[in-house]
Amino acid sequence: MNKSIVGTVIVFISVFFLLVSLSYSENSETFPQRVISLSPSITEELYLLGAEDKLIGCTTYCIRPKGAKTKEKVGTVIEVNLEKIVMLNPDIILATSLTDSKAVEKLKNLGIKIESFPASKNFNELCNQFLKLGKIVGKKNKAEEIVNDAKNKIDIIKRKTENMPHPTIFVQIGSSPLFAATDDYFIDDFINFAGGINIAENSKSGLYSREEVIKRNPDVIVIVTMGIAGDKEVKIWKNYKTLMAVKNNRIYILDSYRLCSSTPVSFVDTLKDFVEILHPEKRKINL
Amino acid sequence: MRKKIIRWIIWIGVLGAFLLAISVFSLCVGSADISVKKVISLLFKAGSGSEYSILFDIRLPRIILGFAIGGALGLSGVILQGMFRNSLVEPYTLGISGGAALGVSLSIISGLYRINVLNMPVFGFLGAVVIIILIYALSMQRGILKMQGLLLTGVMISFISSSLIMLIMSISRAEDLHGIVFWIMGSLEEPNWFLIKIAVFISLISLFVSYFFCHDLNALSLGEEEALHLGINIERTKRLLFLISSLLVGYSVSVAGIIGFVGLVVPHFVRMFAGNDHRILLIGSFLTGACFLIFCDTVARSIIAPVELPVGVITGILGGTLFVCALTKKRIIAGEK
Repeated sequence: MNKSIVGTVIVFISVFFLLVSLSYSENSETFPQRVISLSPSITEELYLLGAEDKLIGCTTYCIRPKGAKTKEKVGTVIEVNLEKIVMLNPDIILATSLTDSKAVEKLKNLGIKIESFPASKNFNELCNQFLKLGKIVGKKNKAEEIVNDAKNKIDIIKRKTENMPHPTIFVQIGSSPLFAATDDYFIDDFINFAGGINIAENSKSGLYSREEVIKRNPDVIVIVTMGIAGDKEVKIWKNYKTLMAVKNNRIYILDSYRLCSSTPVSFVDTLKDFVEILHPEKRKINL
Repeated sequence: MRKKIIRWIIWIGVLGAFLLAISVFSLCVGSADISVKKVISLLFKAGSGSEYSILFDIRLPRIILGFAIGGALGLSGVILQGMFRNSLVEPYTLGISGGAALGVSLSIISGLYRINVLNMPVFGFLGAVVIIILIYALSMQRGILKMQGLLLTGVMISFISSSLIMLIMSISRAEDLHGIVFWIMGSLEEPNWFLIKIAVFISLISLFVSYFFCHDLNALSLGEEEALHLGINIERTKRLLFLISSLLVGYSVSVAGIIGFVGLVVPHFVRMFAGNDHRILLIGSFLTGACFLIFCDTVARSIIAPVELPVGVITGILGGTLFVCALTKKRIIAGEK
């Protein structure tokens, strides 16, 4: 009689420990299965990592790649719809520093895990965030692979442009008021990697005067169409005939999509554009 | 006299019923489709799950905050309009909101709000208090609070602070800029229950205290001199009313941002229907402001879901149109008479 009780107790205890250890090992291996992204670039990165099946919601701005358009929309980058998010019952929310801080606080109070990715300002930060994202969704190896590949390609480009002439460049990311890309933006990395000199690099704020541009006389002007009419801006610049960029007809318009929401892969692609802009004579750089 | 009081009680009853109806409506409406049946069943038994948390953690706090802020804005609007005998005065005219906005902008660009979310409302309130003291000190002359001076100083200070905010915005980084712009637009989303409770407490206390001055306000509406002849200590009244209304505004703005139009339109609206007696105007404006803001917030968060509009957009469009309609109608009726 006693023996059987002891026996059952032992069996129970061992089963219990077995279950506990099983659940533990599972815990360390499980990754969030229901992910909401509050940033177009994170959405794009999730697709790149092959984790799109875990993405259950994103913002109305997430239109690339095509599949993201059909995902459930939970608001814009800045204003999120809390009700929608709670209804979707996510395991984790990937937010940015643009996300409304009150909403972030609220979601935390509701017990939803939220990971904030501050807007990365240069290629290194971009890579680190990409790796972090990979770790979170359980695609660490793939993320490392992609980052290493991008870094290699960039090294090749850097080496090739090193010995070329370094033209000065002004990148305009907003008009009225004139707004320049400083080292607060990715664009500065594009310019440096592609072998150019950003005249607004050390400017404290992006606000830049036209006089200063004319004084510094950049060889190249790039206009990023961020809701501004690029052609109109080109015309305005063309009034200043003394500018080297006007003389040599080196004013370019770039699509803001290519510059703003970046993944390590699209970074390399856009960098190639910059190389072409800065070194038109070597258009056929073999990458 | 008796008749009047009965009429007022009816008005208060009607407004109270409206408030309740709008609150329930707001609880039932949202981007997450929760049927009315479900809402009712959830109301009477505690539960867990996402629907319960949407109702009680997301919608309910907004309704309560809407009640407090709407009420506070309506109340301070009616007090200020009565005090200044100027129907264009609104809670934001005196520059107190500008001070709060300046405080919040400073906390955003200095990065302090990242350390603690509470820093934003705290800084906002500090900014408001500084401006209140400044305006008060500037318009006190030999122990007399000059009303015209008060108004002019207030308007000037609000211009100065809005220029300073623009200065901050122009030198701030993109992310901070978004923070400032969205804060200024105003929102009833507030994660902190404590702040919501304080808001309710402050607006109800102010409503209570303001009732000590309802007769004084009635007398003041005849003019300062007449009020003085009627035996009212106008200096004390003016000072206290200014302090009550500006603290109300300062707190509302620091919690919910600048939600325009409620404080301007609601008192006019109530006056149109309930007359010029401040005994009914005070509570009437409080309740109407609360109804109006809760309703506008419900519209703002559900009209183009999943995107939420800033509530100020709706208060402006809805309030302005309604008011112009009411005004023209009233003129037609008056013309017929």
